[in-house]
Amino acid sequence: MDKSMLGDLDSLPEADKQKMAAMIDQLQIRDSLRMYNSLVERCFTDCVDTFRRKSLDKQEETCVRRCAEKFLKHSMRVGMRFAELNQGAATPD
Amino acid sequence: MAATNPSAALEKEQIFGMAEKEMEYRVDMFNKLTQTCFSKCIENRHKESELNMGENSCIDRCVSKYWQVTNLVGQLLGSNQPPM
Repeated sequence: MDKSMLGDLDSLPEADKQKMAAMIDQLQIRDSLRMYNSLVERCFTDCVDTFRRKSLDKQEETCVRRCAEKFLKHSMRVGMRFAELNQGAATPD
Repeated sequence: MAATNPSAALEKEQIFGMAEKEMEYRVDMFNKLTQTCFSKCIENRHKESELNMGENSCIDRCVSKYWQVTNLVGQLLGSNQPPM
């Protein structure tokens, strides 16, 4: 989650700006913990479905790495598009 | 400059409260959007760590449509029409 997504704070007085920034930091912490949990759940579900050993095999590990990396790239792209929509920019189809 | 007037201070609190709710709403919406579009657009065998072209355009369209659905449902809920 990127701060720029939530609109600009420059127009506010200093004290309010700090209060808003603190609020955003808190949201970001909560957000990143949730993201961590859900990413683990998703990559586990997508990549791990046999239980013959107690540790990940090479293939599962590669899958998890790709899954997580891909999710982060995906999330950045969604963030970009979401920010555009929030700022009211029209995008071509 | 500083709000000494109690009603003005109260009003400010309310505005902050609303801004906080608004931000929470947006963060939640962003998270749901990310989850949903990942499920819909990304092939779940994860053969690659890069997004391919098809996935990229799927993501862009998915975000745009999700946004449209948000507005549409918002309008329907706000239009005060009895359901059905």
